[in-house]
Amino acid sequence: MRGDGITILCVDDEETPRIVRALMLRSRGYNVIAAASAAEALKALEHGAIDLILSDQMMPAMSGTELTKLVKATYPRIPVILISGMNEVPADALDADAFIPKLGGPELLFTTIREVLILYRLME
Amino acid sequence: MSEREQANILMVDDQPGKLMSYEAILKDLGENLIQARSASEALDCLLHNDVAVVLMDVSMPEMDGFELADMIRHHPRFQKLAIIFISAVHLTDLDRIKAYQSGAVDYISVPVVPELLRAKVSVFAELHRKNRQLERLNRELEDRVAERTEQLRQSEDQLRERADLLELATEAIFVRDMDGILLYWNSGAETLYGWHRQEVLGKPIHVILKTRFPVEFDEVQGVLARTGKWNGTLVQFTRDGQEVTVACRKALKAGGSAILEINRDITAQLKAEDALRKTERLAAMGRVAGIIAHEINNPLEAITNTFYLLRDNPSLDTEARYLAQLGEQELLRVAHITRQTLGFYRESQSPVDVAIPDLLDEILELQSRRIEFGNVVLEKRYRSRGTIRGFPVELKQVFLNLLGNAVQAMPEGGKLRLHVFESTSLGHRRPDVRIRICDTGVGIEAEHAKHLFEPFFTTKSAKGTGLGLWISRGIIQKYGGSIRFRSASFKGMKMTCFQVTLPDVDVPASLETTPAAPGATALAGVSNAG
Repeated sequence: MRGDGITILCVDDEETPRIVRALMLRSRGYNVIAAASAAEALKALEHGAIDLILSDQMMPAMSGTELTKLVKATYPRIPVILISGMNEVPADALDADAFIPKLGGPELLFTTIREVLILYRLME
Repeated sequence: MSEREQANILMVDDQPGKLMSYEAILKDLGENLIQARSASEALDCLLHNDVAVVLMDVSMPEMDGFELADMIRHHPRFQKLAIIFISAVHLTDLDRIKAYQSGAVDYISVPVVPELLRAKVSVFAELHRKNRQLERLNRELEDRVAERTEQLRQSEDQLRERADLLELATEAIFVRDMDGILLYWNSGAETLYGWHRQEVLGKPIHVILKTRFPVEFDEVQGVLARTGKWNGTLVQFTRDGQEVTVACRKALKAGGSAILEINRDITAQLKAEDALRKTERLAAMGRVAGIIAHEINNPLEAITNTFYLLRDNPSLDTEARYLAQLGEQELLRVAHITRQTLGFYRESQSPVDVAIPDLLDEILELQSRRIEFGNVVLEKRYRSRGTIRGFPVELKQVFLNLLGNAVQAMPEGGKLRLHVFESTSLGHRRPDVRIRICDTGVGIEAEHAKHLFEPFFTTKSAKGTGLGLWISRGIIQKYGGSIRFRSASFKGMKMTCFQVTLPDVDVPASLETTPAAPGATALAGVSNAG
């Protein structure tokens, strides 16, 4: 399954990882909208047309799980995948649809996105 | 004798004239003369004074001299009192006087010859004085003996108290002479070293205890000679060969003839401190790992993604693509070790039933080439289904590590024994699953054994990360299990056995609720560490 027509909101406070991750997603055919913070991400959501949110967990001001809670309250049909460089899993990680390690590598990232999208499509 | 004591001389007569004449005769003797007009007066005087001699007239109207003498003699205090009777010489009187033979009794006939009376009184007075002196000396002597006895008793008590104290002390206390020969050995020493008093007294004690001094022995002796004491830590051996570390205080006895040593066993204390340091180090490592994880994982992901994109970039020529591949490969190594140290993910959210023999077979399948080419003979004994609840990837890592180590330990080939069995531990309702992995490889050096489970400890230099066993033990402990090993050599053949015990109980709920991403394989890597 290629990412044709799918738009992913890519959230990360660190510039280089954000840019590279966005490039990765585009290489698989996804449209990508990048946001440097949870606040930016929420603003982007207001403009609509987001199919999936891929967010870093550890961000200043608002963490990935906090962002997830807000998204789930307002946009329950948009799946959220959290990606983390920490070696501890936060207690509320289950609020997201998936919680994966940055060390999982590109294949884990792509697989997870695909699985989550399929799950949401099946639920529709 | 200038300070001659006066003796009391009691003169008893009913006629004052006679008393006066006796006084005149005896005055020159320089004694104390006391007069009594009657027997009762005489008795009264005797009771109140220390009388040396009684001079009495035999014939007195109220009570005659003999009667008075009888009364006096009946009193225990006066049984030996000297009595001089003054009497006209009658035969009957003489006979009666003889009846007093036992006591100091004399008589003087009338008319009294002054010199004779003086001489007789003087003799008795002197005798009395000598007696009193002797008595006094005796008393003094007795007092002195009593005093000395009391002193002795006190110092004996003190000694006994001190000895009791020495025996009560839990410290090993002993005294040795300057040649190291043991003179005293308390029960504390018997308890600590296991040597009974009779076995070691008179022997060179530091030879028996195989004492290792922290500095040259001459230096110890030097400090002792200069300052009279020495403190330090000694390593010694008990009777049954056990090593003990003691805090030692030595003191030179006054006069420099012997050395007192007090040794306190600090082996357990040192061990506890050692364990604490180790725990603290591990805790610190955990904290550091958390910080490093974030700082390393973020750029690592970006670089990995960069190489992923770079590799397939069509603008690269063959050489550039080759270089990108090299970079990606090396990056995989970094990711591998990072996953091992800093990773946390599990492949599934809740534990499943894992059959250990199946798991082992799966791993053996992975290792089959190494086993085949390595000339390793495999011996499997699965005596149990060995099912426990857990996460297969974690358990796979543990046994992949142990089996990998075992195979690597036999570069020249050897025998690999795998044994799965059940055994019920105390306090467990269900039997534990035990997995024993034995190899006939190079063995484990004694000095390495202590550090085997420490992070970053490896005997494989460049090849190992030094984390394999550390991580494996962490996983096993999470399951409430334990890992032990033993390395021994027998007839030139070395054998190393690792035994993992996994209780057949559910993994605690707290572990089950921790979420994990589907398909995550962070712990799946194999460590080469030993």
